[in-house]
Amino acid sequence: MSCTIRIPSPLRSYTAGAATVAAEGATVEEVLASLERRFAGIRFRMVDEQSRIRPHIRLYVNTTEVTVLSQPVRSGDVVHVICALSGG
Amino acid sequence: MTLSAPELSRYHRHIALPELGRTGQERLKGARVVVIGAGGLGSPAALYLAAAGVGTIGLVDCDRVEISNLQRQVLFDSASVGRLKTEAARERLLALNPEITVIAHTLTLRADNVLDVLRDYDLVLDGTDRLTTRYVVNDACVLLGKPLVSAAIHRFEGHAMTYLPGRGPCYRCLFPEAEEGVVASCAEAGVLGVLPGVLGSIQATEAVKILTGIGEPIVGRLVTYDALELRFVELPVTRRPDCAVCGEHPTITAPRDAGELCDPAAASRVRRLTAAALHELLAAQRTRAVFDLIDVREPREFGAGHLQGARNVPLGDLERRFGELVPGSTPLFVCRSGRRSLMACTLALRAGIEAPAHLEGGLLAWAAEVDPSLDVAAG
Repeated sequence: MSCTIRIPSPLRSYTAGAATVAAEGATVEEVLASLERRFAGIRFRMVDEQSRIRPHIRLYVNTTEVTVLSQPVRSGDVVHVICALSGG
Repeated sequence: MTLSAPELSRYHRHIALPELGRTGQERLKGARVVVIGAGGLGSPAALYLAAAGVGTIGLVDCDRVEISNLQRQVLFDSASVGRLKTEAARERLLALNPEITVIAHTLTLRADNVLDVLRDYDLVLDGTDRLTTRYVVNDACVLLGKPLVSAAIHRFEGHAMTYLPGRGPCYRCLFPEAEEGVVASCAEAGVLGVLPGVLGSIQATEAVKILTGIGEPIVGRLVTYDALELRFVELPVTRRPDCAVCGEHPTITAPRDAGELCDPAAASRVRRLTAAALHELLAAQRTRAVFDLIDVREPREFGAGHLQGARNVPLGDLERRFGELVPGSTPLFVCRSGRRSLMACTLALRAGIEAPAHLEGGLLAWAAEVDPSLDVAAG
């Protein structure tokens, strides 16, 4: 199943500047693994070694907050990656 | 708080709005708003609050105006360069609207002064460029029960959200923790000049709505804005029962400074090298034996230009790659400005690595003092 991931500004250095990338997977975990295969290192910026979402990151499937990485993703869904910003 | 004849003329377009009217304008005149950071966000926000007739505006900033601020900080002009931001901004706001009072707080907000500064205001507008300040301000607003209108920016992206204590989530519910350095700053990464104009204006809009009691504030709704695609997205945020400050069993009951190398014992264990000192070490070719030279910038920055012998481990990857450090050597971290490399030292200390080193002032200092030909890419 294919979904769209919206990449936050601080992580676009991994995606060659792309704000939106396509990924495959039936769960958030699989979608992140798919993303990692294309853009090595990006997953670790979002989740830690214990597969916990980092405290300065929020993930959403459409407008539903992701609390566990086993959360299902359907074809056509949009996964939003939100990263704390510090600039003023 | 009654309006004078000149004020009735000045605010006619507000008073003509039935939703706001004379009563709303009188509420604005009686209101006290403090703006944290007279920068990209604080500039448009403070200008609109002053124009709108908010009776008392406090400005918190300890910096002086730099020429590089003028690309986005519309409170200032070329003649302001070198002046205290609070003083230059105060003059500008009073020139725009002499009917209001502007109070300058030329200081850095910290745990030991934040309650005293915020206590006398009705509403707080946060436009700081420091994450540590964001948490100090959030915690103080929760503890004082003050409405907080917050925004943040990075490159082409911005966030805005309003926090009403007791009526929705707080900033720690949104992001329980975030550390300087792991989240890049605008100085490191750059920012589109007009971006804070959009987000700062949203903040001023929220402030006026809350103070006059009209509309629906963005409580529990994170608004994200992407300037490149001109796209707004709204995402729900709920209160966390386990939030450290507004949760059911709060562990933060007084403001506290956190997130930086504030522990003097830890700070003293970081070896700080000037560009000249590092140059001497490299010239003597002793570095490879003693130091493991690690550039913690992003790959794109590293690719544009880096020190000979350095290898690239972006700060965000560092924790999981400590195992790659050269055994028996001291890690010597470098970055663009010295900010991320100091954060790398913090992470190294936490990982049990003794006496990490970093290049103070970063590669910008190296380019200024040692080798002007080094291409130091924008972050």
